[in-house]
Order: sequence, then structure tokens, then C-alpha cells
Amino acid sequence: MMKPSELIDQSTGAQRRKIYSDQGIYEQELERIFGRCWLFLAHESQIPKPGDFFRTYMGEDDVLVIRQDDMSIKAFINSCTHRGNRLVRADRGNARAFACNYHGWAFGLDGSLANVPLEREVYFNEIDKNQFRLVPVDRLSSYKGLIFGCFDKDAPSLEEYLGDMRWYLDAALDAFPDGTELIGATQKVILHTNWKLPVENVCGDGYHLGWSHAGAMKATQSGDLSGFTVGNTGVDLEGGMSVAGLNGNSVLASLDGVSGYAFYPDPALALKYLNENRTKVVARLGKFRGEQIWGSQLNMTVFPSLQFLPGLNWFRVYHPKGPGKIEMWTWAIVEKNMPDELKQQILDNVLLTFGPAGLFDNDDGDNLASCTSQSRGWRTGQMPVYTNMAIGRSGKRVGLPGDIASGIVSEHNQRYFYRRWQEHMEAKTWSEVPQYNLNSLETKDEQRTVQTA
Amino acid sequence: MNSALSKPLEARVMLAVEKHLAVQQQLFYEARILDEERFDEWLSLLTDDIRYRMPVTERRFRKDRSAPLAFGGGYIFDENKVRLGMRIGRLQSGLVWAEDPRNMVRRMINNIEIWQGAEANEAEVYSVVTIHRSRIDGEEKQFVAGRRDIWRETDQGWRLSVREMLLDTAVVLDSNMNTLF
Ligand code: FES
Ligand SMILES: [Fe+2]
Repeated sequence: MMKPSELIDQSTGAQRRKIYSDQGIYEQELERIFGRCWLFLAHESQIPKPGDFFRTYMGEDDVLVIRQDDMSIKAFINSCTHRGNRLVRADRGNARAFACNYHGWAFGLDGSLANVPLEREVYFNEIDKNQFRLVPVDRLSSYKGLIFGCFDKDAPSLEEYLGDMRWYLDAALDAFPDGTELIGATQKVILHTNWKLPVENVCGDGYHLGWSHAGAMKATQSGDLSGFTVGNTGVDLEGGMSVAGLNGNSVLASLDGVSGYAFYPDPALALKYLNENRTKVVARLGKFRGEQIWGSQLNMTVFPSLQFLPGLNWFRVYHPKGPGKIEMWTWAIVEKNMPDELKQQILDNVLLTFGPAGLFDNDDGDNLASCTSQSRGWRTGQMPVYTNMAIGRSGKRVGLPGDIASGIVSEHNQRYFYRRWQEHMEAKTWSEVPQYNLNSLETKDEQRTVQTA
Repeated sequence: MNSALSKPLEARVMLAVEKHLAVQQQLFYEARILDEERFDEWLSLLTDDIRYRMPVTERRFRKDRSAPLAFGGGYIFDENKVRLGMRIGRLQSGLVWAEDPRNMVRRMINNIEIWQGAEANEAEVYSVVTIHRSRIDGEEKQFVAGRRDIWRETDQGWRLSVREMLLDTAVVLDSNMNTLF
């Protein structure tokens, strides 16, 4: 297997296509990325009551997130400690206990082994039930309603992991004291793509919008997006920015405060909401975030596999199923204090644009699948692909964290994504993974350094 | 999804034979013009007040005790005539690269039941649709869905006014559902 240092060339923005198809590289990703990073599990709003549970994945491991009787949250590997059967097969629900389908062992909400059939007759009361509790996810932490889990004891805290990305995340998650919630069922779609391709697509690829989605944009667009035109015939770089260099997390932002709702056939209700609440949000988040970030078209990425688009309001996580396959899960994210009518409209619009039959998503699936299959050949496997747009043209913007490139059409964020990927793949332990928040607001101005990947 | 079927069998009324056949013929005809991408003709088979809906399917325990989702699960399709027109506008824009070369699609309509609807000029129709798609090299995918329709008899013939669909999978197995059921 090639070394991670040979797979990504940061100076040219090149990646070896093997990273999308090689089984060995994929297995190393399960260990060094999905086995090490903080991964999104669920939103607190999805399990509001004691006994509420939600089933998800961390890498390929099945995980169960459960609201406890004392309202705390626990997460366990969703696998029976007897013979390993999957314990819960429902997507979500509410229960008092979980009985395994195979031999009937039953577990409590807190993971304790509550009942073993024939305990006296066949185990002679000698089984130590404490030893067979469900295996907990090693670490669990929430950030503004988002529950994350991590398998690595040595990982930094979730706050450190998110780093200065929190400054941008807050514009979406903390514009109001009540925060956000996820609504709708989990929309699950199988895509025959390597997991990195949808992530790079959403984290930074504004380039494909005007071309891939030309038909969908023509059908749904009601407003402007950064002077952006259908068919990739024009773009205004001043209207947006690509922000990266935040521990592998990134943001793509238009800066007009309204374009998040540009792809609503009728955005009147949303625009009214933005109008009515703008002053409050500016008071809470400050002028820049309140006027230019909140309400704008934003692409937020938390490394490695959580992405959401405030405005279009979809919220998504990718679960890898081998090097060439993922399950893509999508919900709608809304601010809790939005009027019900607007929430309903947002859920409807998420499904119109990004659900399984979404007008935009229907364009991306085949491209991602083909980029994956075009890395499997004997010859293509040796070839590179490039994210070399506008290399070296990023820098600092006063008052904003991150290394920033102009416009939402850039490959700046993708390069930082692959740089983070490489850093993790090279590191044997967390202590070898560099932490960086470029141009941090916490650092004095003269100490800031701009690094270009 | 089984409003007519919840009636006892003896309370259900069949249509007169010619009408029954006309509705059944309409189902097959509709399937064929969709297979042939004659979308404008398909639109003309819909009443102006068409409701076209498919909810997201979730896997839940039979005895699930949790409260229903506040805004429902959401709909993969929740369309009126304007939105269906928008979908078709996209397909006909010449800008949907995933459809070029075209996908080969064949719809099979089975298990058809046709009953007298709530109104004198309406038929309530149950069916199962299997959509077979041949996309990209050697990739063949299938969707199976149950349908409940209301067809209305008008001066122009039978027109579709309600279609409720239930997809038989919680994880969509194809990269898009860029198709009409
Ligand atoms: S595997 Fe679960 S009870 Fe035996
Ligand atoms: Fe896209």
C-alpha cells in the first residue's frame, strides 16, 4: 500500500485515485478516521423523552443512542454481548428495555444486562451480568444540541476538535437561545460512491452548482446566489468565501444574509422570518454574523462526515459501507422558534431539493458514483485527480477565523479536507495529529500566520 | 392507505364492466406513456387538483411507544400540479445530464383492484407498481411501491386526482428516484 504522504500532494492539489477504491486504505480509514474522530450521532431533539432511542453508525459499527430516565444520554454498540446479534433493528422509537432476537437476553436503557432467560437452569446463576453490559461508546459529548461520539480515549475534547469552526457553527446553531432541532424521518439512500467524494463536493465544490444542477436551478430558483448563473457562465467572487484551516472543518458562505432561501420556489415566509428576527440575531451574534452569515447560503462541514446547509436547511451524515458504498442520511434542520408553518415548508423544500427524489440530489449521485468507479481500473488507479483551483490565493480576513479564499467557487476547502485526511492517516495516535485554527480570533493579530496548503 | 379496503367486502361496490375496463386500460396507458417519456401527455391525464404523495418509510417496532414526529416523517413526493410541472420542466430542460443518455424504464402495474369511489364519478384504485430501470453500464435497479389512486371520470375521460404511494424500502437502493410512480 502507498504511504499517505504519496497519496495527497498538497502543493499541487492532487490526490491519487486509489484513495477512493483501495480496500487497504479504506480499512485504515476505519481505524484512523472513523475510529478516532468525533462523529455525529444524533440531535438531542430526536430523543426528547426517557426511553427514546435512535440507531446510527460510527464508521461501520452499529450504535444505539438512548435518552436515560434522568434525561442524560448514553450510547452503546448496538450488538448483543452474548453472540453478537444486532440488538435493535428499528430506526428509532421508545422502549423500556431491549430484548435480543436470538436467545432473549434483555438490556436496560442504561446498558445493563437485565434478564437472561433460564439463568438459573442453564447458567446455574453463575453468570456475572455486570460483565455483559452493552459496550458503551468511549466518549460522548454534545455541542449546541448535536450529540457526538468518539472511540478514541486520547482524542481532544469535542470543543477543541471543532476549534474555531464553532464561531461559524454558532451562526446556525446558536442564533437563538432555543437553538435548533431536526425534523422529519431519516431519509436513507445508498450511493455507490467513496465517502470522501460527497464530503468534498459539499465542503467546497461551488464549481459544480451552476453546471451539475443547471436543470434543477432553472426549475426552483427564485433568488440570486452570489451573482451566480445557471450553466457556469459567470460568478461574483466578492459575494462569498471559502473558509478552511479549522482542524479540517470548513464553511462555504455567501455573504448576503438571504440567499439560503434562494432555492425555495416561494421564499416569502422565510424572508419574512429573517426580516423580523434580524435585529435580535445581530444583537446575539454581532453585526457580521448577524447580517452576512445568518440567512445566507452556507455549507458547514465537520470533519469527517457531517455536513449541513443552513438556508436550504438539510442536515446530513454519511456512513461508509466499504470503499465504494455509503448510506447517506438526511434530515431537515430548523430553528426551534421558527413558526410551524415555516418549519413545515422547510421540511417540504428539503425533500423537494435534497431528498431521495430531490431535484438537486438526483444530479449528484451518478457523478459521485462514476468518480468512484473511474478509480478502480488498473490504469485509472494510478492516475491523479486535482483540486488545484486558485492555489495560493487564500489569506486572512480581519475579524474572521480561518484561512479564507474569495468566492464560493474555489477548491480551497477541498484541499484542506484532504490535508486533514492525510494528517490523520499518517498519525499513529491522536498525539501525532496537528491541531490548527488559522487566524484564530483568540490569537493576537501579529501572531496570526496564514498557511496555504 | 386502505380507506376503501377498511369497508367490509359486502359494502364495496364494483364499477360497471365497461368503466372498470376503461380505468384499467388507463393505468396501463399511463405506465406506457411515462416509460416513453411523454411527460406532457402524462400531465394532461391529471386533474388540476391532483395530490401526488409518497411518505418517507421508517422501520419502527410494531409496539413503538414514541410520540409521532411533530411534522410527520416528510414526503419523498408531496406534489401538486405546479410542482409536478416543475419536475417535468427539469427533465425537459435538456440540462439533466444523468438522463442523457436516457435511462431505460419499464413500469409494471399489478394487483389492480377497482372500486366505486366516494363520489359517483370517482373510482378508487389499488395497485402495485414495479419500476425497472436500466441505468449506467449494466446497472439494473428496481423500485416497488403500493399505490392508492382516485380516478375521476370527466368529459375528457378518466383523470387522476389522487395518488398515494408507499415505497417498500426504508433505504432507497438507487442513487436517485428521478422517476414517476
Ligand atoms: S446473541 Fe443475543 S441473546 Fe444470544
Ligand atoms: Fe450538488
